[in-house]
Amino acid sequence: MATVMATTAAERAVLEEEFRWLLHDEVHAVLKQLQDILKEASLRFTLPGSGTEGPAKQENFILGSCGTDQVKGVLTLQGDALSQADVNLKMPRNNQLLHFAFREDKQWKLQQIQDARNHVSQAIYLLTSRDQSYQFKTGAEVLKLMDAVMLQLTRARNRLTTPATLTLPEIAASGLTRMFAPALPSDLLVNVYINLNKLCLTVYQLHALQPNSTKNFRPAGGAVLHSPGAMLDPLTAHSEWGSQRLEVSHVHKVECVIPWLNDALVYFTVSLQLCQQLKDKISVFSSYWSYRPF
Amino acid sequence: MRTSLQAVALWGQKAPPHSITAIMITDDQRTIVTGSQEGQLCLWNLSHELKISAKELLFGHSASVTCLARARDFSKQPYIVSAAENGEMCVWNVTNGQCVEKATLPYRHTAICYYHCSFRMTGEGWLLCCGEYQDVLIIDAKTLAVVHSFRSSQFPDWINCMCIVHSMRIQEDSLLVVSVAGELKVWDLSSSINSIQEKQDVCEKESKFLESLNCQTIRFCTYTERLLLVVFSKCWKVYDYCDFSLLLSEVSRNGQFFAGGEVIAAHRILIWTEDGHSYIYQLLNSGLSKSIYPADGRVLKETIYPHLLCSTSVQENKEQSRPFVMGYMNERKEPFYKVLFSGEVSGRITLWHIPDVPVSKFDGSPREIPVTATWTLQDNFDKHDTVSQSIIDYFSGLKDGAGTAVVTSSEYIPSLDKLICGCEDGTIIITQALNAAKARLLEGGSLVKDSPPHKVLKGHHQSVTSLLYPHGLSSKLDQSWMLSGDLDSCVILWDIFTEEMLHKFFLEAGPVTSLLMSPEKFKLRGEQIICCVCGDHSVALLHLEGKSCLLHARKHLFPVRMIKWHPVENFLIVGCADDSVYIWEIETGTLERHETGERARIILNCCDDSQLVKSVLPIASETLKHKSIEQRSSSPYQLGPLPCPGLQVESSCKVTDAKFCPRPFNVLPVKTKWSNVGFHILLFDLENLVELLLPTPLSDVDSSSSFYGGEVLRRAKSTVEKKTLTLRKSKTACGPLSAEALAKPITESLAQGDNTIKFSEENDGIKRQKKMKISKKMQPKPSRKVDASLTIDTAKLFLSCLLPWGVDKDLDYLCIKHLNILKLQGPISLGFALNEDNFSLMLPGWDLCNSGMIKDYSGVNLFSRKVLDLSDKYTATLPNQVGIPRGLENNCDSLRESDTIVYLLNRLFLVNKLVNMPLELACRVGSSFRMECVHNKVRSAGNDILNMSSFYSCLRNGKNESHVPEADLSLLKLISCWRDQSVQVTEAIQAVLLAEVQQHMKSLGKIPVNSQPVSMAENGNCEMKQMLPKLEWTEELELQCVRNTLPLQTPVSPVKHDSNSNSANFQDVEDMSDRCALEESESPGEPRHHSWIAKVCPCKVS
Repeated sequence: MATVMATTAAERAVLEEEFRWLLHDEVHAVLKQLQDILKEASLRFTLPGSGTEGPAKQENFILGSCGTDQVKGVLTLQGDALSQADVNLKMPRNNQLLHFAFREDKQWKLQQIQDARNHVSQAIYLLTSRDQSYQFKTGAEVLKLMDAVMLQLTRARNRLTTPATLTLPEIAASGLTRMFAPALPSDLLVNVYINLNKLCLTVYQLHALQPNSTKNFRPAGGAVLHSPGAMLDPLTAHSEWGSQRLEVSHVHKVECVIPWLNDALVYFTVSLQLCQQLKDKISVFSSYWSYRPF
Repeated sequence: MRTSLQAVALWGQKAPPHSITAIMITDDQRTIVTGSQEGQLCLWNLSHELKISAKELLFGHSASVTCLARARDFSKQPYIVSAAENGEMCVWNVTNGQCVEKATLPYRHTAICYYHCSFRMTGEGWLLCCGEYQDVLIIDAKTLAVVHSFRSSQFPDWINCMCIVHSMRIQEDSLLVVSVAGELKVWDLSSSINSIQEKQDVCEKESKFLESLNCQTIRFCTYTERLLLVVFSKCWKVYDYCDFSLLLSEVSRNGQFFAGGEVIAAHRILIWTEDGHSYIYQLLNSGLSKSIYPADGRVLKETIYPHLLCSTSVQENKEQSRPFVMGYMNERKEPFYKVLFSGEVSGRITLWHIPDVPVSKFDGSPREIPVTATWTLQDNFDKHDTVSQSIIDYFSGLKDGAGTAVVTSSEYIPSLDKLICGCEDGTIIITQALNAAKARLLEGGSLVKDSPPHKVLKGHHQSVTSLLYPHGLSSKLDQSWMLSGDLDSCVILWDIFTEEMLHKFFLEAGPVTSLLMSPEKFKLRGEQIICCVCGDHSVALLHLEGKSCLLHARKHLFPVRMIKWHPVENFLIVGCADDSVYIWEIETGTLERHETGERARIILNCCDDSQLVKSVLPIASETLKHKSIEQRSSSPYQLGPLPCPGLQVESSCKVTDAKFCPRPFNVLPVKTKWSNVGFHILLFDLENLVELLLPTPLSDVDSSSSFYGGEVLRRAKSTVEKKTLTLRKSKTACGPLSAEALAKPITESLAQGDNTIKFSEENDGIKRQKKMKISKKMQPKPSRKVDASLTIDTAKLFLSCLLPWGVDKDLDYLCIKHLNILKLQGPISLGFALNEDNFSLMLPGWDLCNSGMIKDYSGVNLFSRKVLDLSDKYTATLPNQVGIPRGLENNCDSLRESDTIVYLLNRLFLVNKLVNMPLELACRVGSSFRMECVHNKVRSAGNDILNMSSFYSCLRNGKNESHVPEADLSLLKLISCWRDQSVQVTEAIQAVLLAEVQQHMKSLGKIPVNSQPVSMAENGNCEMKQMLPKLEWTEELELQCVRNTLPLQTPVSPVKHDSNSNSANFQDVEDMSDRCALEESESPGEPRHHSWIAKVCPCKVS
């Protein structure tokens, strides 16, 4: 390691000069680069209120799965909100076609996108508050800033890559089931979430169990996707289920890639690596952590 | 419940870093509280003259502190709440530095407001929180449980800031918030309390889009009840509260970022920036507005414009760095100041005293308000440098004379009582920890003169960054091996007994950040292997026997967070900071797999479930987010506050074996994030110490052979009998339900009353009892293993640390002579560890913080002025036949000495327990009394006594005391009373120690101290004074007992009425006595005894 060998005064001086350059020039160059990348990422999220361009534009996504065509959905995303949804469901038993759509007056906020967007803007805010005119005085200062930025970016990424794990009762109780215009039949549950760069729609078909059924109760734990056989505890579920025990009989999952989410995730990864590289550069001079150029 | 540990901090010359992220001043303007990026809270004393001095460092959070707020009505309970980056919330008592409540919620808060509405709300009030989640969360201020939330019907989003508006005019409290997107929302607060408590959704009453982002502060002008100040990062605006119309908007100039603001008077506002400047503006009505008629025909709106009156700025200094966190405190009451305060990342606090009427200069230009006070932690250390020496300064000083070595890493080996310190210059010093501590703390006695044995290992050329003692992890490995790694990625294997260098590994991979060892189940070529994590994120595996490097895994892009071992397939699983996982095949050294995202998470989790991986050795790298959780699951047998994340606690990684047993003395090396400054904490486990010191093991049932055991048994029996008496009385009186609840713990104890140990446990409440039993089974009794002289030395050091040296010169002399303990070099930094995560440490110079501390006592090891008062009170309650163990009456000097020490420690242990107990135990047993209390409709102090006596009898187990029970009770009452007055444990312990030593030495001193007749006379005088209250006290106690049982026996209505009035009366008295006690602590000296009498007499009257 370079710092170790610096026994002579000349070498030490060179190292100090190098560190000063790092703090004064290189750090700002990296910060500028980071800002550019993250601004690009936040553009993807179409931050409402950032300009006066009015409401965010609408995008339609057609959701399907490669295997079957039992469920088809067309979801309309407006910024971080689902403004319209059309779901077609072919019942497996009688091939009956069901269709439901969102009520006109309602929007469903996709919490994951909102959180990711807010985390990114927090990161940008952290970066802009240390603009070109700001002089970093210690390496530790840069490390702290990088840690803070990386924390926000990691959270932003994790929000998209890790959908909230909901139990069936939680899905049942969430407002999403009440969003549809012909109300959903009581044996259907719907969940919409983001997984990585994909918008996912899951439809659960339930069937009632006999009250005195001998089947062992297998409660539907916290998971994004509940496989058939998971059961809905009548006590914790929404009141409209009454005291009936319900079992998941079919699960249909359809998804669609959102291109701009893909971009955003790539930007997150790139900027996280940039941050870490800057941290590594600073750490090379770790024996100078307490060193101050002036 | 683990007993708390007494701690002594051995700070180095450098203060631990404290990068301030949150700051507040308590309502009494006595204390500044700061939260830091490192996760600690610091309490700073603020004197009447606005002088700052750091007092205490509180450890409890494992991540950066995000916000601080009041958590109670401060005049009633001095509680504050802190929230951390990882969702932890702590409620702290500011007066004694203890964590009252702790919770971890999956929410990250950025602002908290305390709200309490006394006439509509039961309980302690709400904490209204906002942060990285939608809308406003309501959290119960007492339990820290989520009550409900305020929902937005439109545009739900994260909330940036909020304020509570209490308007006199409309008699309604409202909550004003501004969301991330710049949406102002208003909720009704006071009128929605009921709906919230019934978990109904409450939606906002109004909302308005403010057209700016990054809102920092929103403030309501309480003077005019009209204006609303909203500060954004790039501008600040003033709105009309009535219709939210914009009155004024001011954009920031020359790139400044606004950080907050406050309304300081009618039409006068204060705005501050992120770089530490602030500006006071007068808002003037513009005359122009009258001539402008709005074109759209709306109501005429006056406009206002700002006029800059004053400004403040921080002094330019080198370490200054953004951002500043600032706040303003507006107190209209007279002794208080208007204070603007700021905290910096560098740890500096700056105060400005804002004049009541800020004015500009005569020529109209803004006036600069000077800095009133500024301080850092380091200032404390510099000012009191005798206190701030690290543990090995003594040795390094010996070695080369000039300059002290900075310890960069250290490791304590409990089994050998050795402390290994790696220094900045590459040397490694090995010493006996106890000796080192003595040499460092105590005044030069005979011991220190001949230099205590220590070894110096020289081999590294760069500062030593990590140490590992493999035998401490697995007993199979050679006891003499020790590994050290340095900044130059060189790892050396040492023989610590012969001081020989066995092998030197060169890794060429940057600084060695940590050294770990594979779990016992994982072996390669019949040996456990060592794992080095290096600065360039690589991992090297070393085989010690073969003296070879097996694998150097270099592909990781991010810092290594977690290492797991797969023993069957010889895989090394490396988890990195970016949530990716690398799987390495150890034999071939090839990268088997690299996974990210969801799959990586599954791999890491699978390893936990499949039992193939035996241990999780998380790595103490720069950010320790996951560490604490992992750690706790892997090593449940830790002593002391080991998992102290945010701090790099080295030993915490290593204590994983069940064979680890609690020790009376332990050294905890602590290292902070982002710096190489470390310090040591000496931990004393009082309970363990007492256990070890008792001449006979407690489990010895045949106790008649030993004096102490017999005594214990006798006492235990007598208390049991006593209790049944009182019990029966109350049983007949109370309703069957409450009686049963009451009787439960006691009848259980009766069943086993003849076995002292069981007895004690039963009384302790079932929960605790179980814990203790388990722990007793698990821990092999360490008592016989530990060297007796070491234990006695530890006890002496402990007493030396606690004794208030210098209060009374004669007493000091007597202590040195008769207890054979040494005097302290100066006041030391005492600390207190409540449990594994929470501890508080006093900072150098804390003793000067106490405003009550008079000049004479500076440089005296007195915890606070209060100690003397408490000690006097304690002495006053002590019965006449002073509590000297009978064993002392024989004349053998050394025996007497150790007996006295044992006796003193017993006493301290008892006090420690009593003062500490309230949270868990008092609730348990207290709950059985609660029924009864409700029955009586009033809280009667008599119950407390009953409570305490049952506690006491169990606690007293293993102690040799010859007091009459009434006196015990009065002591108990006194100590439990201290607890209610939030006396610090250390305070109480020191007070009791002082009193006991005084008593003890007085009786002892009769023979040799003829040379000091004056002090004797004083003592006698004191005794006379105490006679009166003492007598009354015992009488009063009896009376109380009678009164307590009387109404219960006859639950007829007239009598009940009588009892009510009685108890009401009593409560008044108690309130009064509390007040007395408060006054007492303020006014030292003579009137103390009078107030004591006053406290007793009214009780008698009833």
